Amino acid sequence: MGMSWARAFAASGPPPVFAAIGAGGLQRAEELHGTLRLQRSPRQAAILLVLGEIAPDLLPFLQRLHDHLPHPRATIWHRATPPGDWTDPVQATADGLERTLTDLWRSILSGDRASEPDFLPDKPPNEWRGVGPHGQGGKGMMGGTPYGRPMAMTDDDLRDGLSLDAYSAPFGPFLPMLPPGLILDLTLQGDVIQSATATRPPCPQPGSDDRPGDAIARLMRVMDMPALALRRTRDGLPPAMGIAMLRRAIPDGLGRARDGTDVRDRLDRWRDKDAPQADDGTRLSDLLPGLEWHEAMIVLNSFQPDRIRAICARSGPEGGDEDDKDGNRDAPAHAPPDHGGHQHHDMTGPAA
Amino acid sequence: MENTIQILLLTALSLGAVMALQQLGGLSDAPGVTAPQAAPFIGGAAPGTHAWQRFHVRYYTMTLLFVAFEMEMMFMYPWAVVFVEEGIKALVEMGMFLAILTIGIIYGWREGIFAWE
Repeated sequence: MGMSWARAFAASGPPPVFAAIGAGGLQRAEELHGTLRLQRSPRQAAILLVLGEIAPDLLPFLQRLHDHLPHPRATIWHRATPPGDWTDPVQATADGLERTLTDLWRSILSGDRASEPDFLPDKPPNEWRGVGPHGQGGKGMMGGTPYGRPMAMTDDDLRDGLSLDAYSAPFGPFLPMLPPGLILDLTLQGDVIQSATATRPPCPQPGSDDRPGDAIARLMRVMDMPALALRRTRDGLPPAMGIAMLRRAIPDGLGRARDGTDVRDRLDRWRDKDAPQADDGTRLSDLLPGLEWHEAMIVLNSFQPDRIRAICARSGPEGGDEDDKDGNRDAPAHAPPDHGGHQHHDMTGPAA
Repeated sequence: MENTIQILLLTALSLGAVMALQQLGGLSDAPGVTAPQAAPFIGGAAPGTHAWQRFHVRYYTMTLLFVAFEMEMMFMYPWAVVFVEEGIKALVEMGMFLAILTIGIIYGWREGIFAWE
């Protein structure tokens, strides 16, 4: 076959890996950034690396993620228990991970191991259904529910109340720039976040809170400074010059929590290795609305795993309404008085 | 006639190259793209709505201002070359042209272009 030389060439390189991080896998993922070719999207990966225990409620998400990988593909479980119905799971021990990865990469390329089939059926999640009697047609931008999903509907913009289409989607739980396990329900107008709720808090990451070097590295990676994020000085932090550059690149006053600290203050605490801050009752609705996507990712990565977990745990779909009623919250300055809108919030959950 | 033949040959060549590449892709033993693979990647969750949406192009007032001044410049260079020959006629023409563009700038003023944030 004519593809064999191409496959041999591919096999001589490092395997492209996408890491799906579960409970307790964050610290290990940080170590692996130096040795593995971790991709930002499953589209560029051949091997799905499951790092840390995956809670049962995250399994459907993991399966959907698994199906995104192009063929040939395989899954490796590292510090994780594969569920019983996962066919022929490959598990890797702590010191044998790289060896297992390379062997698996070679074997799926040579065809010794068959590429893993899809979990989900090969059809759209819902059938096409227009408004007509034969399932045809719609009404322009607003019409029908093509493939069972509604079109984006208009909603008032936070900034000036212009009614254009608001886009709602659940992001996570395996998006590389989000805390692992977090499912973030965002409503966006263009790039600007209108509302944010956490339908599922991040996975617990025991032992990650006293590693400020890792936290700074994650923030650097979000700011697209991956080379600096890999370097550590003797005190376990990235180089001081790099941290200073990172600090200057972050806007002043971004992501102010209820205790008055912004992203720069939290970075300073990590740099000075101060103890992690006590929880102050901040919610996602204090932090994210009005920010653009990239700012929001900086803000979310400026908290230690335990603190962002606490913030997300009280920012659930039912927690937010209660919070608005108690009235002693500093409303964001740019929030209009009546941001009710005509948004179909019930349609934004993950499709079954 | 020779040009037509060249154009036809070039069209045939490019079409042939595209079709050959498509056939080459079919030779690969990789399975085709399935429905779950074609879904957007947002971290494992499934999107609730379609991504087709309208959002506001907020820089449109700046664009208006840019186009107004750019058009002014585009006309002014050739106008400056012929101004001495044409005299008062060219001056009147430029006055009309600037008047039209000024309407755009005044409209932009009303929309708040000059209120810098």
